[in-house]
Amino acid sequence: MQKILAIFFILFAILAATVMSDRPLPEAELTIINRTEFNTVDPQQMSYNHDLRLAYSIYEGLVRWDNESEDFDIIPAAARSWTVSDDYLTYTFEIEPTAKWSNGDPVLASDFVYSWRRAILPDTAADYSNLFFSIRNAKAFFEFRADQLDEYADRPQAERTPRAAQQLFDEAIAWFDENVGLRALNDKTLEVTLERPTAFFLDLCAFGTFSPVHPPTLEAHTRLDPNTGSQQINTDWTKPGKIVTNGPYVPTAWRFKREMFLELNPYYWNPGMVRAKTVKIRPINDPNTSVLAYQTGLADWNTDVTVDFVGDMLKEKAEGNFDDIHALSTFGTYFWSFNCTPTLTGGRQNPFYDPRVRRAFSMAVDKTTIVENVKRSGEKVANVFIPPDSIPGFDSPPGLPHDPAAARALLAEAGWVDRDGDGVPENERGEPFPTVTLLYSTGAYHDKIGLAMGGMWKRELGINYKLEGKELKVYKDDLKSRNYMIARGGWFGDYGDPTTFLDLHKTDDGNNDRGYSDPVLDELLAQAEDTAEPEPRMEILEEAERYTVMETAPILPVWHYNYYYLFQPPVDQDGRPNPGGLEGISYHPRLVQYLWKLRVVTEEDLETWEAAR
Amino acid sequence: MISMILRRLAILPVILLVIYTVTFLLAWSLPGEAVINDEGRQPPAAVLDAINAQYNLDDPMEFYLQYIYNATGAHWVVDRLNGGDVSQNVVFDLGPSFRNENWSVNEIIADSLPVSVVLGLSAIFMAVVIGLVAGMIGAVKPNSLADLGTLVIALVGISLPSFVIGTVLLIAFPVWLGIGSVGKWGGIGDIFLPAFSLSLPFAAYIARLTRMGMIDVLNADYIRTARAKGVSRRQVILKHALKNAFLPVLSYLGPATAFAMTGSFVVERVFNIPGMGQHFVDAVQGKDLFVIMGVTLVFATILILLNLVVDVLYRWVDPRIE
Repeated sequence: MQKILAIFFILFAILAATVMSDRPLPEAELTIINRTEFNTVDPQQMSYNHDLRLAYSIYEGLVRWDNESEDFDIIPAAARSWTVSDDYLTYTFEIEPTAKWSNGDPVLASDFVYSWRRAILPDTAADYSNLFFSIRNAKAFFEFRADQLDEYADRPQAERTPRAAQQLFDEAIAWFDENVGLRALNDKTLEVTLERPTAFFLDLCAFGTFSPVHPPTLEAHTRLDPNTGSQQINTDWTKPGKIVTNGPYVPTAWRFKREMFLELNPYYWNPGMVRAKTVKIRPINDPNTSVLAYQTGLADWNTDVTVDFVGDMLKEKAEGNFDDIHALSTFGTYFWSFNCTPTLTGGRQNPFYDPRVRRAFSMAVDKTTIVENVKRSGEKVANVFIPPDSIPGFDSPPGLPHDPAAARALLAEAGWVDRDGDGVPENERGEPFPTVTLLYSTGAYHDKIGLAMGGMWKRELGINYKLEGKELKVYKDDLKSRNYMIARGGWFGDYGDPTTFLDLHKTDDGNNDRGYSDPVLDELLAQAEDTAEPEPRMEILEEAERYTVMETAPILPVWHYNYYYLFQPPVDQDGRPNPGGLEGISYHPRLVQYLWKLRVVTEEDLETWEAAR
Repeated sequence: MISMILRRLAILPVILLVIYTVTFLLAWSLPGEAVINDEGRQPPAAVLDAINAQYNLDDPMEFYLQYIYNATGAHWVVDRLNGGDVSQNVVFDLGPSFRNENWSVNEIIADSLPVSVVLGLSAIFMAVVIGLVAGMIGAVKPNSLADLGTLVIALVGISLPSFVIGTVLLIAFPVWLGIGSVGKWGGIGDIFLPAFSLSLPFAAYIARLTRMGMIDVLNADYIRTARAKGVSRRQVILKHALKNAFLPVLSYLGPATAFAMTGSFVVERVFNIPGMGQHFVDAVQGKDLFVIMGVTLVFATILILLNLVVDVLYRWVDPRIE
């Protein structure tokens, strides 16, 4: 018996020691809940929304957006001022003289050259390297380096040495310095020369991927792999204690899938701007748990509510019972893709190759019913791809209406008529319209939307349909290999220009999952690229949107995405401060939130307000 | 005893190699691309090819061998022997994670294993306490109302899925009663609810084991002798019967502890606990090859070692066993 007790005593000691050694972090002035752990804190490798939100808090790009202004104006950040040449080709930035890194080093123009070069280098594997291709010869540099690495990989083992890799890298850097339109004229002056006038270049500069990293820190963690010749980075540099940032905050603790702690960067040049001095970020994967966690007061802001009962919460809010849920319009659109290639897998004729069929299918869908009765969470119906009123100076076309009669007429015009009276349309050869498969990834609401649309097609057009749910990875594979007829999709814009959406329709664009290829559209986009004057350029892009949305319909837009936040409003109906409420959230559809603008309302605010009355 | 330990330790690498090979074959045949972003933007094709080449994702044989070379510490040793280029900075390098780009598999396991150990051990403690008490109640008065009651509770514990129990506990305690927390981990108060939901199936099994063992033992001759000598019923149960009835429980505790410690995906998800269990599911869904293999190998090692520990303890507690 004593022996058994001894075993348990030892186990208990192990348990107690492990629990005691785990020191919890202190509370922060602002705590937020994210849906997942950060993918990366390396700005050049970011592409997810919550990663970028972190970038805007720990790094500072040349410029930033005024996210409270109507036009999402560009305002100075790490650059105090800038000038643009008359031909719109050369941008000269003056770096803020007092800007410093979190270790006290001054922020230099050359830091931006280093960081942007890093984003372009194929070695870095940046998701967004093509955003940098508006810089003169940036694309050529990417290709130069990629060719270099290809050639190196083919060398015999004996010729792949650390020295050879270094030599190759030095050559690439020399090529970069000579040809790419990116130069530090002196410590504080950065000159960027563009390939061609790019109306949205400043907007790009505000984007997270354009944030600087601290070159000495990165260099200390980078080495050349003699095997592949490419630069490899030891990701250890991203960990607190090692990471050096130039933004308002610096991460001082990060525990995997648990929490990240941000503190005011002690050397930040403009600390007055930062409202909450400490921020804690907790990732909670499970949607229900994250709502419960918010309800028990774990956080001041739940940044991404995805539970099924969002609609019920919104209803409660409308009835005045629950103020904490907020639906915000975003810069994104939920749609279904048509496979636009001539043949389907297996060599069958693809009826959706004909734009008239695609338009007919689009017009047969009653989106209002889908949004109100199926999705039920207050989204705006989308008849266009680019969310209206999100880009200043861009006017959206009306889009295709819901018109089943016109849809049937279009389908008949395309040769699909019910010839044998069985309710299913046939072509001239008497072959019935193939059963339409709707491909989606399992685990979300897509099956319900697919079911609703399929029912409408059956009812209005007599089409038979079949749902095909697959695991995300398999769905993605099918999408890329065009092994589908109609598939769910979605897109969020990155920068304040229509091309952030329209480029998706370009022939052979990496994100063109539809295999859509139309010389008219390609020509319009090329024209826009060559047009320097903003207004005529916008008109061309408006035409491109009209053409794709109303005439060729490669996608069927259903709604413009909403994001759902949970936070207490900062003031009540009478304008009285609400202690515990959150101040500083931006409602602009571009939906960029700066953590340093946020602040939790305190009891003192209420006292001050009452004293002032 | 020593020779038994040495023999078992000597087979360990062989077992791990077999497990690694099977895991590798299964993970490799998962559909989809390993390095692609599931949502969001895709890097240019040239970049994807370069990453695939860098991690040997284009060559299964090379990948298979390189992983052994890195994970066994051979790479580290060779680097140290050669001097000069020391590229390997950890001994047993389990590779990077594709989904969490800033974390290596080593770091992920180092961060999540202690969490799982705490949760798992706490759950096993609760399971042993609950299971022994329930089992004894049942054994002392077989087929009584109390026995039936514990049987029903045990059935519920085994059959109710933990996401139901977990969610009910979360709503009942932190949300309604304000006891405990939701979605955080670290304080002692954060441990009870998840450990309790994790312990239920184990407790139920232990209760049944204890009850069966105890009923057998209570009918044995030596117990009757002890009672005849005038030892009180309570003394007999706690001192003589429990000791023998506990042996089957002890042999069950080895694998049970290993399973509890590598966590339950569901309990971790519902209570948002940063443990190991989630990696099994997340990594497979995301085809995060290095994570799949890393956690599988670590789990296998723990399972094998704990079984060994239990066998050793078994002999120590009951010297009759050879």
